[in-house]
Amino acid sequence: MNRPWIWTCTLAALVVLALIGVAPGQGKMDQLIAAAKQEGQLTVIALPHDWCGYGAVIDSFKKKYGLKVNELNPDAGSGDEIEAIKANKGNKGPQAPDVIDVGLSFGPSAKKDALLQPYKVATWETIPNDQKDAEGYWYGDYYGVLAFQINADIVKTVPQDWADLLKPEYKNAVALAGDPRTSNQAIQGVLAAGLAMAKGNMDGAADAGLKFFADLNKSGNFVPVIGKVASLAQGATPIIIRWDYNALADRDTLKGNPKVEVVVPKSGVVAGVYVQGISAFAPHPNAAKLWMEHLYSDEGQLGWLKGYCHPIRFQDLVKNKKVPADLLAKLPPADAYAKAVFPTLEQQDKAKQVITKQWDTVVGANVK
Amino acid sequence: MKRNVVVSWLIVLVGVLYFFVPLLGTFEFSLRYRRGVYSFEAYQIVLNDPVFRATFTYSTVLALATIVVGVVLVVPTAYWIQLRLPRLRPVVEFITLLPLVIPAIVLVFGYLRIYSSASVLPLTSTETTTDVLLTFSYVALSLPYMYRAVDTALRAIDVRTLTEAAQSLGASWGTILVRVILPNVRVGVLSGAFLTFAIVIGEFTMASLLDRPAFGPYLQLVGANRAYEPSALAIITFAITWACMGLIQLFARRTAAQLAGAH
Amino acid sequence: MPPARQLSWAWVGVVPFFAFALMFLIIPTSFLAIGGFQDGQGRFTLQNLVDLFQPTILSSYWISIKVSAASAIGGAVIGFLLAYVAIAGGLPRWVRPTLMTFSGVASNFAGVPLAFAFLATLGRTGLVTALLVNLFDFNIYRTGFNLLSFWGLTLTYMYFQIPLMVLIMAPAIDGLRREWREASANLGASAWEYWRYVALPILWPPLLGATLLLFANAFGAIATAYALTGSSLNIVTIMLYAQIRGDVLHNPNLGYALALGMIVITGLSNAGYIWLRGRSERWLR
Repeated sequence: MNRPWIWTCTLAALVVLALIGVAPGQGKMDQLIAAAKQEGQLTVIALPHDWCGYGAVIDSFKKKYGLKVNELNPDAGSGDEIEAIKANKGNKGPQAPDVIDVGLSFGPSAKKDALLQPYKVATWETIPNDQKDAEGYWYGDYYGVLAFQINADIVKTVPQDWADLLKPEYKNAVALAGDPRTSNQAIQGVLAAGLAMAKGNMDGAADAGLKFFADLNKSGNFVPVIGKVASLAQGATPIIIRWDYNALADRDTLKGNPKVEVVVPKSGVVAGVYVQGISAFAPHPNAAKLWMEHLYSDEGQLGWLKGYCHPIRFQDLVKNKKVPADLLAKLPPADAYAKAVFPTLEQQDKAKQVITKQWDTVVGANVK
Repeated sequence: MKRNVVVSWLIVLVGVLYFFVPLLGTFEFSLRYRRGVYSFEAYQIVLNDPVFRATFTYSTVLALATIVVGVVLVVPTAYWIQLRLPRLRPVVEFITLLPLVIPAIVLVFGYLRIYSSASVLPLTSTETTTDVLLTFSYVALSLPYMYRAVDTALRAIDVRTLTEAAQSLGASWGTILVRVILPNVRVGVLSGAFLTFAIVIGEFTMASLLDRPAFGPYLQLVGANRAYEPSALAIITFAITWACMGLIQLFARRTAAQLAGAH
Repeated sequence: MPPARQLSWAWVGVVPFFAFALMFLIIPTSFLAIGGFQDGQGRFTLQNLVDLFQPTILSSYWISIKVSAASAIGGAVIGFLLAYVAIAGGLPRWVRPTLMTFSGVASNFAGVPLAFAFLATLGRTGLVTALLVNLFDFNIYRTGFNLLSFWGLTLTYMYFQIPLMVLIMAPAIDGLRREWREASANLGASAWEYWRYVALPILWPPLLGATLLLFANAFGAIATAYALTGSSLNIVTIMLYAQIRGDVLHNPNLGYALALGMIVITGLSNAGYIWLRGRSERWLR
């Protein structure tokens, strides 16, 4: 008669163990949602609605969890976001950002300045190791590659590669989307051009990029205006070097007026990674954590994909067949991305030093 | 004298050309929303946006508040400096030039540090107190213009004689300032008010970092990612702001007459 | 009233202003001043000030000064002329209030909308450029004109400098009594002599003050320059923003030092203005 009891007890124990094993995962999430709802709102910064489809992502977060989202300065640069955390250290009001979305190099420096708090999302393991901090202070969120955004009504032959831009038919046509002394996008643009010119050699890429733009400027092809969608449409900057997701989003916004082509160059494809982090002084830490869970869930990652950004878990999603075919079709061809180079932090820093310091002298400030 | 009028008209013509042609360029571009035809679609999109109306109203109210605070702060100070403390003039003038060269972003980060919810004067803790903080920061931003305009006006009138005359008639300081000095510097105050209004309507950095629903951040949002709507918005804002200034001018004319004892 | 009492009352009159300045200008700026002398970790250092003397930064100050001076003087001259003809030039009465209100709006029309307006008008694909080519077969760009240059930027800056001048000088021109003009004509003075001996000396202090304001206004401007000639003209405000807010360089302490340099330059020009004004005011007393 002892045997059946032992079996029943073991079975019961196994069932209980199984329940305990399942419950924490679910319970933690529920606890987080409850705590976040009690905080009531999330403060974000530097998230333009047309950047990676953030508008839709924020709306889906609001609808799913019923939290208010307070959007600060969508025009902020990565440096602004860091300054905002620093300036609001003692402030629990709505001016203090809870989460930041900054360029790759700002992750480690923010961690060093004790501005972030660590958090590992549920899907942590599926984030590539070299795109996140091992202790969980910052983690890559999405990437894109630099592409040519072209006003096809003005530019008749579409350039396919960096060398094409030097041709005389593109006089007064080529612009960057920022100032290479201050904008990450512009610096990576110079680097990408250099990578193409230096035939893939990253060490010489920064100098080669500066020389490329010097030539572009000398031949009269370079326009120093900061390229925006308005100047693209107006014709002052018919070719802009931009992140592909911005270029594609602009193409949708313009709705064919004018016609826009987005071309990933054949060589010199540089990818830029942005990283997420939670402020160490966040007034709503649980809302912040819930936001992170949302962003790194399949739903959040696909939301970025809809905005033409490649989410950091892209390979994982593709492997598990989670990406709808029509979404894949709208993106640039996969083989363009196959050649993408992800500069490491050290490579980026070195390139930045070279480019920012020498831009004025090489691209001769054509000042009188 | 007739020759002068021709020259005057010529100068005005050059001015009109210089100021209106770029506006024409913007206007022409804003009509191109639909491919191949001119249409006002960009304008419809902007005007139908409820956020446009809400933020513009908010900024207008704040602008008027800024003007009032600015006038109350600057006119007595400039008057006093002129009358009694001429040696302080360089100091005050230097202070009023500071807002022009200190980046607004530095100022607002300073405010966030000093007036945060953890400090002695927690101005950022509620919406209303943040509005107050924002108004005062706008007064600081418009200080150079308001002060210079009022100061120029004060120097054009004989402050000393006016004051002595009013005092000999038994007027208190308050009466002197409001009923004697203010109507006489009306032109300067009006100039300062116009400049302040325009600044507040378009101001972006402080409003956005202090997280208030002002017009500047709205302009930025539209301008960042759209091609045709920003141009339409620029023209609309220009027109509405011009109209508001016309209203301010009408109001000022009537008030000055009342203050001085209408004649 | 005994002198001592008078002095103490006089100080009371300016207390609100100084309290305001302290709370909303000086104390926030002190963060800037302190930061300029600190390094990234908060230790005291003079390195930032030393860094200011690098050739790129020195040349950026110089370019800023040049652009500000050019647009200030240009704006001052044209603005003064416009204000004068509108107020005392014998024009119909509606011209003056129209000019005043329009100047109010235009004085703040700057940044991206202004840069874009000029691009859309005088840029290579601009409205006027295209019109001139189509109607008169005249391409302004062939004469060497280039909107994206120092002079193009100065031209664009004048769009908000001229209205500012108009508004600031209006009360001063208002103060020029018509009787003085008539009196000088009665005494046999020509228009030129009237200007040289009566009007200009009276207007000179406010003219100087307004020009200084225009200079400081242009000196601190960034948005228009960034949008129009962003990556080619190296003005100090762009350098400053690069350090404080940039995606890249991000040495905020150097940015604060740059701002301190700007404040010093503004202070020097203010001192220069006061000296010039003092000399011209001597005979007015």
